[in-house]
Amino acid sequence: MKRVIQTLNAPAAVGPYSQAVEINGSLFIAGQIPINPESGKIEETSIKGQTRQVMKNIEAILAEAGYSFSDVVKSTCLLDDMSLFKEMNEVYAEYYPENQPARAAFAVKGLPLGALIEIETIAMK
Amino acid sequence: MKSNLILTIAMILVVTVSCGDNGTIQYQKEVISLDNITSGRPYSPAIKKANMLFVSGQVAVNPETGQMIEGGIEDQTIQVLNNMKAIIGKAGFEMEDVVKCTVLLTDISFYGSMNSIYSTYFPEDPPARKAFAVKDLPLGALVEIDAVAIK
Repeated sequence: MKRVIQTLNAPAAVGPYSQAVEINGSLFIAGQIPINPESGKIEETSIKGQTRQVMKNIEAILAEAGYSFSDVVKSTCLLDDMSLFKEMNEVYAEYYPENQPARAAFAVKGLPLGALIEIETIAMK
Repeated sequence: MKSNLILTIAMILVVTVSCGDNGTIQYQKEVISLDNITSGRPYSPAIKKANMLFVSGQVAVNPETGQMIEGGIEDQTIQVLNNMKAIIGKAGFEMEDVVKCTVLLTDISFYGSMNSIYSTYFPEDPPARKAFAVKDLPLGALVEIDAVAIK
């Protein structure tokens, strides 16, 4: 049974998608960009600040669905520029200190709302 | 003898599978790593959970040296898929178990050359796939491929 996850502790979708969908112990979280859910805006300007906001948004959605970072099996990190890779990794590693998820990372031509980073997440129970 | 066998099986089940609060079976997340492929970056080469394997995006790093290989799109695609095959094998899966790949290229003009190599690694019933050109890849790679396998 497909369950749509919705929380005010993470940004509302900026298009026709759900924050996350859960089915049979698998959670598919939409790509998160660094919108502060309280203001609905991207406030952080640095890659580190933006990565931290993205991880907070992912954390809130995981919690709403009854999951945690330790359940995450796969991330996809989309960067505005490859030069942001190292600093993104430093913040990302704070949230995944061990048993780190599999991951793909790359730079794209552009991200929604001019974000520097977007991270998509799959978690499994 | 028979009771020993049952006890052993029961212990294996306790170690590998535990029940969640709501009674659903929960499988442990297993990190799959090859000693000689470590990037120093915050991800595992692959994660195995139940019957699923998530393989990280592979670039053409030579596992012996940890450095990107010299070479064009064809050589890089061979190295990427050799790395993937090694990780999949370490997890106890086979290339035939791959159900989905994502192929990232730094230039879409590489598409034909990448395909000519890729098809030799998946000669029949190839996985579902998406492929596209990106702005840039880690380590200056020309191609990155990730995979999901299920058995």
